[in-house]
Amino acid sequence: MGVIRLEQVSKKYPSGQEALTDLSFELAAGEMAFVAGHSGAGKSTLLRLVALMDKPTRGQITVNGHDFGKIKPRHVPRVRRSVGMVFQDHRLLMDRSVFDNVALPLEIAGCSREETGKRVRAALDKVGLLAREASLPATLSAGEQQRVGIARAIVGKPPVLIADEPTGNLDPMLSVEIMKLFAEFGQVGTTVLIASHDLSLIKRMNKRVLVLDHGKLIDDFRPGAPAPQTGAQA
Amino acid sequence: MNRRVAPLAVKADKLAASAPVARAPKRERGRARAWREHHARSFRASLRRLAARPGATALTLLVMSLALCLPFLLWLLLDNARALGGHLDDARGVGVFLKPEVDAAAAKSFADRVRARADVADVAIRTPEEGLAEFRSQSGFADALKVLQSNPLPTVLIVTPKAIAASARGAPPLVDELAHDKHVDQVQYDALWRQRLDAILAFTARLAGVLAILLGLAALLVVGNAVRSDIVGRAEEISVMQLLGAGRAFVRRPFLYTGLWYGALAGLLALLLIGGVEIALAGPLGQLTSSYGERFAIHGLSIAQALALLGVSIALGWLGAWIATARQLSFGRLR
Repeated sequence: MGVIRLEQVSKKYPSGQEALTDLSFELAAGEMAFVAGHSGAGKSTLLRLVALMDKPTRGQITVNGHDFGKIKPRHVPRVRRSVGMVFQDHRLLMDRSVFDNVALPLEIAGCSREETGKRVRAALDKVGLLAREASLPATLSAGEQQRVGIARAIVGKPPVLIADEPTGNLDPMLSVEIMKLFAEFGQVGTTVLIASHDLSLIKRMNKRVLVLDHGKLIDDFRPGAPAPQTGAQA
Repeated sequence: MNRRVAPLAVKADKLAASAPVARAPKRERGRARAWREHHARSFRASLRRLAARPGATALTLLVMSLALCLPFLLWLLLDNARALGGHLDDARGVGVFLKPEVDAAAAKSFADRVRARADVADVAIRTPEEGLAEFRSQSGFADALKVLQSNPLPTVLIVTPKAIAASARGAPPLVDELAHDKHVDQVQYDALWRQRLDAILAFTARLAGVLAILLGLAALLVVGNAVRSDIVGRAEEISVMQLLGAGRAFVRRPFLYTGLWYGALAGLLALLLIGGVEIALAGPLGQLTSSYGERFAIHGLSIAQALALLGVSIALGWLGAWIATARQLSFGRLR
């Protein structure tokens, strides 16, 4: 059974706009996939649903064994902690040090200071920023800030990692570097779902791609299968 | 680029190796400690935040402490007035002012007649001469009184009635009958005045209660508003925390401590204000009480009352913050 599973999921906003229509797919443990599509195709809506930030209008979402339709409101925060999130604008707290930013999920989860220290340093080490733990985020470059955001998302060792346009503000070189970092998490068993509109980058990563168009899943491309359109260039 | 990425791949395994394997009891202890740590951190951080905005904090504290000290000052006044009233409890004597034309002999026979009544315990006569001497010694008008060519004071009988029920309302029949006697000019009955005082005190007590409720509400709103603007200013931080899976209590905690600090500091400030008012009034009040011949002394706030004020203040601060957080934070609600 997949770690992330959607069955005939639709999302209609109160404005009447249908953001997702009849979406079904499944991601296995350790699988990495991209969600591609134009802006407005429903990528962000899909990620919000998987991160339990929004409720689907219809259909069933199961993440890490939790059926989202059956979670009581007071358990929402706990389930949300099992999903690591990376944002395009990283959403770091600018008045806290890099260490404190990365420690935030552990503080929320109720880790002791001792364990927090160990895990934060392991996460910062992993994204190559161990030397900057005392810095304020504003003193870091855009790529470094995004890596702090990634460290914060993985420090709690969530089984699922979600990223919404994580390279949207980065130059191509940095983007590849960040994507490779994500790919490593897939290798250690984390299920990774990344929304991106950067097709050339996606092709370069050679991972599964879910293509959305106007809220519908129009393609589910897996590596090894013949690439759609101009994939041969990658 | 690859140079930078390559070592990261090795580190991924290191991280995986340190996966959580802590035993359950140890984990529970760790949780309890983390909870205490978060409380301690919220406690300190909220004070630091208040100190970071000294102007806004001072204004909030001043308004809140004024709202707190006003009802307490009124209550203090009331308490002192009650103590003064207590001294008048035994002042049940009836002062009977005789008409000026009643001479000493007539006054004596009238006094004997009154003394013979069944409801009278004792009658004392104060002649105009005695009255003038007393007036001269007590009022400090000695020089002015020298100007008088004759003694304007009437003969006064101090009639002590036999047990009048303390709860009896209105004047007893004795007072009424004395007032209508042909020798009598005027009857002064302290118990009536006492009843009036009681009514005034009861009214003031009610007033203090109503004011305390209104001003307590004002203090609540002031704290609530301060915490609300704090929440608005930290909206991004709160939303990030909620996205990272922070629960209701976690997000609320620092704001509740902010309310607690507001309450504690405003309570201390209110105590200082009350102390200041006491010092400012000490001089004139001293003169007033000394004119009553040391029969009662003005008292300030006792330790217990000061602690009660602090407790009320802290409770109001906490409650104000609680209401503000309940209104402002839509805790991880799903649309």
